[in-house]
Amino acid sequence: MGVKGAVLEKYAAKVFKNRKEHMLEIDSGQAESRIAANSRSIPGIMTSRGCCYAGCKGVVLGPLKDALLITHGPVGCGFYSWGTRRNKARAANGGSFIQYCFSTDLQEPDIVFGGEKKLRQAIKEAIELFHPQCVLVCSTCPVGLIGDDIHAVAAESEKLYGITCVAFSCEGYKGVSQSAGHHIANNGVMRRIIGRDDTPPATKFSLNLLGEYNIGGDSWEIERILRRVGYEVVAVLTGDGSFADLSRAHNAALNLVQCHRSINYIAEMMKTRFGMDWIKVNFIGVEAACRSLRDIALYFGDPDLSRRTEEVIADELERIEPDRAHYRRKLKGRTASLYVGGSRSHHYQNLLADFGVSTVLAGYEFAHRDDYEGREVIPDIKEDADNKNIESIAVEKDEKRHRAFLAPERYAELKEKIPLDYYKGMIRDMPDGSVVIDDLNHYETEAFIELLRPDFFMSGIKDKYVIQKAGVPSKQLHSYDYGGPYAGFNGAINFARDIARSVECPAWRLVTPPWKFEAMLEGTVTE
Amino acid sequence: MSKDLVNLNVNPCKMCMPMGSVTAFYGLAGCMTILHGSQGCSTYIRRHLATHFNEPIDIASSSLTEEGTVFGGEKNLVKGLDNLIRLYDPAVIGVSTTCLAETIGEDIPGIIRSYRQNRPGLKAKIVTVSSAGYAGTQYEGFFRALRALVEQVEPETERHGGINVVTGPVSPADARWLRECLAETGLDCILLPDPSSNLDGGATKKYERLPRGGVALGDIARMAGAAHTIELAEFVPEEASPALYLNRRHGVPFTRLPLPVGLRDMDRLAELLASLGGRRPPRLEEARSRRLDAMVDSHKYSAGVRAAVFGEPDFVYAVSRLLCENGALPVLAATGSRLPGFADRVRPDIEKAAAYRMEEDFSLLDDCDFETIESEAVRLGANVLVGSSDARRIAERRRLPLVRAAFPVHDRVGGQRIRTLGYEGGLDLLDRIVNAVLGSVEASFREELKEKYYLERESRPAAEPPGAGEAALAANRLRSGRHPCFNGGGYARIHLPVAPNCNIQCNYCVRDFSCPNESRPGVTARVVTPGEAAARFVAFRDASENLSVAGIAGPGDALADWELTRETLRLIRAADPDVILCLSTNGLLLPRHVREMAALGVSHLTVTVNAVDPAVGAAICRQVDYLGTRYHGEAGAAILMANQFAGIAMAIESGIVCKMNTVMLKGVNDGHIPLIAAKARELGCVLGNIMRMAPAKGSVFADSPPVSNREIGAMRKRCGVHLRQMAHCRQCRADAAGRLDEDRSILFAGGGDEPAGERQPGFFRFAVSSKGGVLKEKR
Repeated sequence: MGVKGAVLEKYAAKVFKNRKEHMLEIDSGQAESRIAANSRSIPGIMTSRGCCYAGCKGVVLGPLKDALLITHGPVGCGFYSWGTRRNKARAANGGSFIQYCFSTDLQEPDIVFGGEKKLRQAIKEAIELFHPQCVLVCSTCPVGLIGDDIHAVAAESEKLYGITCVAFSCEGYKGVSQSAGHHIANNGVMRRIIGRDDTPPATKFSLNLLGEYNIGGDSWEIERILRRVGYEVVAVLTGDGSFADLSRAHNAALNLVQCHRSINYIAEMMKTRFGMDWIKVNFIGVEAACRSLRDIALYFGDPDLSRRTEEVIADELERIEPDRAHYRRKLKGRTASLYVGGSRSHHYQNLLADFGVSTVLAGYEFAHRDDYEGREVIPDIKEDADNKNIESIAVEKDEKRHRAFLAPERYAELKEKIPLDYYKGMIRDMPDGSVVIDDLNHYETEAFIELLRPDFFMSGIKDKYVIQKAGVPSKQLHSYDYGGPYAGFNGAINFARDIARSVECPAWRLVTPPWKFEAMLEGTVTE
Repeated sequence: MSKDLVNLNVNPCKMCMPMGSVTAFYGLAGCMTILHGSQGCSTYIRRHLATHFNEPIDIASSSLTEEGTVFGGEKNLVKGLDNLIRLYDPAVIGVSTTCLAETIGEDIPGIIRSYRQNRPGLKAKIVTVSSAGYAGTQYEGFFRALRALVEQVEPETERHGGINVVTGPVSPADARWLRECLAETGLDCILLPDPSSNLDGGATKKYERLPRGGVALGDIARMAGAAHTIELAEFVPEEASPALYLNRRHGVPFTRLPLPVGLRDMDRLAELLASLGGRRPPRLEEARSRRLDAMVDSHKYSAGVRAAVFGEPDFVYAVSRLLCENGALPVLAATGSRLPGFADRVRPDIEKAAAYRMEEDFSLLDDCDFETIESEAVRLGANVLVGSSDARRIAERRRLPLVRAAFPVHDRVGGQRIRTLGYEGGLDLLDRIVNAVLGSVEASFREELKEKYYLERESRPAAEPPGAGEAALAANRLRSGRHPCFNGGGYARIHLPVAPNCNIQCNYCVRDFSCPNESRPGVTARVVTPGEAAARFVAFRDASENLSVAGIAGPGDALADWELTRETLRLIRAADPDVILCLSTNGLLLPRHVREMAALGVSHLTVTVNAVDPAVGAAICRQVDYLGTRYHGEAGAAILMANQFAGIAMAIESGIVCKMNTVMLKGVNDGHIPLIAAKARELGCVLGNIMRMAPAKGSVFADSPPVSNREIGAMRKRCGVHLRQMAHCRQCRADAAGRLDEDRSILFAGGGDEPAGERQPGFFRFAVSSKGGVLKEKR
């Protein structure tokens, strides 16, 4: 049973059965490529997954630069999520809260007698000290258990101080991974922030960039390209994002969805309420970025815009060509493994392909089946106890502000050509023989490295040193190890340069892994 | 001093208990840890440890979900333990609880008991620690894990001559040194914990998933029979102290010592080891003598260190002692732990060091966040930060060097190799701190020396006319040598009282046309027109040899009557291309006129800033008239401040040399003045001037307590760490003329055409003097 079996054999029967469902060897001959996802991690096997709070506070809400976010709970969670994702933000007037960590620092008596009073006071102090227009409150595990009504405190503070205050019940135990937190954050942003300000965009071709978190400055490179073509970027959700931009996001003509997993809820809800279409884009990778630009142009169907799109693409490609060719020579023929959150493992395969690197293993930490297999499987996904607990809010059509950009015929026509309100998932882009793993753990990481021997492994800080101890270069794709941007045309070159420097570092020659010099099979040849 | 805000922690200087407990378990051989709670706890903690130690960190989680919060987490914990044992085969398993497990009230000892009963062949020793995130910091968590180990590992009480050595969280490199140091004494020492190889491993052919280094379970068992316990921690709560437990339960005597960072603390450890029968290895003597030599080598530079030390209590205490014994001053010692006895423990050393430097101001804080650390470090004029990398944002914002010497270090490599212990390690840390300060000194001392001493003698007029930009600023700074307020002793100045009106009302000020013998700002014999002013200037210049400055200092605000001021400046420049033009203002209209001022040739500017916080400002300045509206209270103060800051920045950009005046008002802004000085430096002012309030009769502050010379002197000294302070201010009148020490304005009070100073017979002028320089009543 190939590599899969070799890795699974160490497990006890029950774990074997469970983990088997989360692994897939790509074989295009098979009728169905099905994988289990978004289900509970097995206790004790060193998952890389985080919690609901991490998804809500760390991923979706954290990058909002002008919203003051208070972690309501004991001090640890606030501390550990302080600046860890290295989102970049430009300080607008009034400054940015990105560098700050605010916590109610609950103590034992607060757990016994309730923390609402402390939260109420903390909001007051935050407003007196920092004068934010928007305060967000995220709760951690004990808060949900002791029953603090953070939503009531938030509502009361709104009235008292005349600001926007939104509470998120994103206790760590909810759901099975960060994914639950994304959903909770999406709900709150949709319910309370988007749609507050009806100021229309200045131009016709206006966009929101959803699911782009500006790690290493990615969204700045993407915005640069979009602006060059002539688009107006109304809001980025949520990289370098602001409360003010989000408030008027619904006035844009089109939503672009970069990370499908973390933000598709908002894209779908905006479609229902405001009639905005969304298209799945990917600006990681040169070819992918070109394709996305062309898809957007096609959506608007404006000849001038299409012409400008082609001009910009031609110009950007010409500019990066010498570097691109150089790094392609250096990296061609190598292999890589990818294990990231819920979209990068797919996106980066495009970028690797640009430089002739093939992907031998790709996995997601917290994706759902639709991120692997495409949105068409959504109706088949069974609800279980864990995801039933995450509220799915029903938005209604906003009669006054609802408008369809495309005529129904044009919509149908375009649906055939571009990923309109659709994501095809990662698996379809993966070559035969490669392996897909959901919720990869440390033991499996080690085992697959030995079996697949990638030239480098891209994942996060928790596996970084496991990978490097095995003699394989690692690249963090959550924080980029201070690198970036890696998106767009400039980003592609940055990425290739960083990878080439890493794999060619002389130190690797001194720590060669055993499989490179030890015989795999021993025996004698008989005449 | 504790901060007023108690509900919001802004940038925490502490982590939670589970972080500490899992770190402690990493000092054990063959140990794996499982956190009973949401998987986020384990993920976050692994991320932080991995970034600091640059090593794989495996901490399992029982991955509790919502179901677990309702029905209890036993099922998950049991599954987790089974899987952990199957994949890792550990000798010890640490089970640490989290907020979640503690809040739902999990009976961990009970669960583990039944787990053991159901698995008769179980080889792994399971140790449980109660470590709710809300019940303490990582420091307490660390010791709770150690305590759990000595309590729960079956003791071997048979007496042996060995010595237990218990430490708090120290770096792997320090632990390695300590282990070697103990081995050299020849004593049989058990070091608990020993993270030296687990958290600082090598590159091996095959990666070992299970951490193999560290103290073995058998050695922990033997601790009960040891001859002595040395606990290198002085702040451990009783219930978490391994030494105390071993003493009470098994009768092992113990000694608590500070971490051996300072020379005297390492001496104490060495003496204790010797008294317990240890050898004194010659290497130790050599290291000590090198340490002494080095302390002497760098003592001059050590004395310049004003450090803000923060972090875990043992670290802060030990580093403070290191600094004090080297003549440095820890102006701030802060810990994030809630530790009421902290300040009292740390105070004696720092108090002594401060007294030696004739300083009284330092801060000792527990339960402290980085927001407070930042404001205190700035207020106290710290010149180096010592602690974890979490202060990097302060370092960046305040341009202060940061010595990364404690966990966590997230923005540099080598966290696992930081040395602080022993004669060598303590010296390594001292060198790093002193070098950080030397780095700042080296980068700035030439400029500072030049400003302080050389410019005074520089008397050549600047060749270039003042204009915009840096070159102009440099040229104008050279001219400061001829300005009596900035550097130029021996030169004279004339203040031209052309501006009668003021646009703000300060509570200490009454503008009068008053007794000519009263000397304070806001006072003039009479207001003159620009034409008269120019004539008075020419007359005075021709009558004196050393006039170098023509200034406008009111009696109102020089910019409130901009037309008059502009005309005066223009006429004087026309009459004398060489004289330094100088203005004094409250700064309200500075952004509006500063460019024109520069174009007219103004090269020196004084702005009076009495507050950098609107609340303080409102107590001093009761109204501000700005662009046709009268603002009161904090609104007015905020507008004034904003314009002062913007105006000063613009002035410096335009090449104008700026000085900041501050009136010291007892009980109003006196505690706040160092922050003003820090702000002045940040903006680029070259000189600060703290003035006594001259309480004018009829002003709100007329009866306020006077500020003594000594108080002014002390405040100037405190602020001197931020910004060079003027010590020769005479608080001149708006029509002062002559050298600072010799006002001749009476002689030139006329318009210039009438012969001034001619006295009529029978007319007398009386000079009144008072000790404080303050005229209480005028007649």
